[in-house]
Amino acid sequence: MTKNPFPLEKDQLLDAYRIMRTIREFEERLHTDFARGDIPGFVHLYAGEEASAAGIMLHLNDNDRIASTHRGHGHCIAKGVDVKAMMAEIYGKATGACRGKGGSMHIADLSKGMMGANGILGAGAPLACGAALAAQKLGHKGVGISFVGDGASNQGMFLESLNLAAVWNLPVIFVVENNGYAESTSVEWAVASDSYVDRATGFGMPGVTVDGTDFFAVYEAAGEVIKRARDGGGPSLLECKMIRFFGHFEGDAQTYRGKGEVEDIRANKDCIKLFQARIKEAGVISQAEFDHIDRQVLDLIEQSVVEAKAAPLPAPAELLTDVYVAY
Amino acid sequence: MTGPIVGIIANPVSARDIRRVISHAGNLQITDRANILLRILAGLAATGISQVVMMPERAGIYGHLRRGLDRATNAGEARFPALQLLDMTVCGDASDSATAARMMRKMNVGAIIVLGGDGTHRVVVSEAGNIPIAGVSTGTNNAFPEMREPTITGLASGLAVTGAVPAGVAFVGNKRLDVAINDRHEIALVDIAIVREQFVGSRAIWKAASFRELFVAFAEPGSIGLSSIVGLVAPVKRSSPFGRRLIFDDPADAQFCVAAPIAPGLIENIGIARVETLDFDMPTTLTVGSGSIALDGEREITFSERDRISVTLREAAFRTIDVAACMSFAASNGLFVENTKQAPIASHALGGQG
Repeated sequence: MTKNPFPLEKDQLLDAYRIMRTIREFEERLHTDFARGDIPGFVHLYAGEEASAAGIMLHLNDNDRIASTHRGHGHCIAKGVDVKAMMAEIYGKATGACRGKGGSMHIADLSKGMMGANGILGAGAPLACGAALAAQKLGHKGVGISFVGDGASNQGMFLESLNLAAVWNLPVIFVVENNGYAESTSVEWAVASDSYVDRATGFGMPGVTVDGTDFFAVYEAAGEVIKRARDGGGPSLLECKMIRFFGHFEGDAQTYRGKGEVEDIRANKDCIKLFQARIKEAGVISQAEFDHIDRQVLDLIEQSVVEAKAAPLPAPAELLTDVYVAY
Repeated sequence: MTGPIVGIIANPVSARDIRRVISHAGNLQITDRANILLRILAGLAATGISQVVMMPERAGIYGHLRRGLDRATNAGEARFPALQLLDMTVCGDASDSATAARMMRKMNVGAIIVLGGDGTHRVVVSEAGNIPIAGVSTGTNNAFPEMREPTITGLASGLAVTGAVPAGVAFVGNKRLDVAINDRHEIALVDIAIVREQFVGSRAIWKAASFRELFVAFAEPGSIGLSSIVGLVAPVKRSSPFGRRLIFDDPADAQFCVAAPIAPGLIENIGIARVETLDFDMPTTLTVGSGSIALDGEREITFSERDRISVTLREAAFRTIDVAACMSFAASNGLFVENTKQAPIASHALGGQG
């Protein structure tokens, strides 16, 4: 093995890989199980976008809070939410992260700083500002991260949050996960000011665009904007240009996508394949070590599905409990 | 319409990287880029250019530009040349600049005006062949393009391509650095840095501890970026018949150190082991076994011990428009003087040479 030329130690690189592989297998399994009719409700899958969640979350600790989106499974896994509790939640079972009453778009775990996926587009941004304000007042150097898609980035709530964060110099990072489509509408049709960096500049904060399929690009840029926030430098915007492997939702016919687009990105822009290739080229991690993680992850996902299926549904008497949760 | 065609490449993906956070680099907004283009177009029209082709993009530069052009047309003003977009597929990355430059070379345009920093200029030059380039600095790391009002670049480019200024005055040859990685060939206009990180990541290079080697085609003391390191210890002019190679060292062990502005707002103490002269057409191999290669300030290629790498300095490898020389020629030959009833200034007032 040669000297490690990466900004992470070998065990951190293995962690990054495990997170990305877990997200991928989790989503691929949901894709299959949803098509079979096993899963109630609605799911929006994060496969293809793993480098963003992993590259950002590896800089965070449990004091740091994130507000996620409707496409939140990847953020949950990368922030450390229990995979079995997530699967049970999506299956609507009493052992789920929200006792089976929230489903895919409400998974939360405050002990991990995960304030929740969110079915309301753009609604995570003010929550992240609140978490950042708390961190600022408590002085513990925590940060708030708001994830938002390119579609929701046009919501008033999101733009108001940029303003508030700049006015109060909040330690918050607005991560725009730009996968090119707001449901089926191309970003080129729907986003005025044309550049997220320009949009950030308009609110007096720095903006950075990175290739969101390159784990190291996200990791480096996220490290800098998070450090800036912890040091009192205030808010930033980080745009990760990325690609989703599946449709907006499961069942989306994706007629708006180009012919061969998905096949091309799976072959050439798969963030996990790119990550593996770079690390193997440098000789830091062997294929056998990657394979070992792959087997462990597949076992975990299989076990989480088996346990979710076997778990009980919430009791009817539970219907009106947990409607409000104290943060 | 007849006469020479001028090409414009303004890629909106430039100046969006991490340097906005790590070193307070600026951001030139899309609307400002469109305004710059309108000023260039006005300069081109004033010097007799009637046709311009432009790289299409999807970030809105053309939309803003179109508003300005349509407003002028509706107002009955003939301030701008006819503008056409190239018929090409837009990918939304730096490859668009390469595609556009390739198409403009095939069209044999008189010149290509480039908006961007060193990176955008590098991509255009790599495909432009012998077509002269005029650079307008809008990027982050700008050792290559000059900082100048774009209207003047438009005027000078028009004078150059219409022949109002003779080619011997208007165009100048430039040095270029070529790097070969096995069978792959890339170029740099200012510098090639070898850094320790074996990944491209966020592309910018700013961690001095990772610097290993630096090759420069030219290095001006007043420049920003890695070439400033050489510029502050052993400057090389754009016209000098040589370049330099610098080997970095840990500041604690180095022969000497220099405080250099390696990025906008970022002045670092850099340890130097030695500086050598780089002659034309002499391939130089690296002292480093693995890492990545940064072309004009951005990591582009990773390499390992298995790869064969060499760097070669080339003479007069591509042409640029000498804006200052064009404008001086225009002034001394009265190219902008109209309806003269008498010479604007008596020749003795200019020193008697006129």
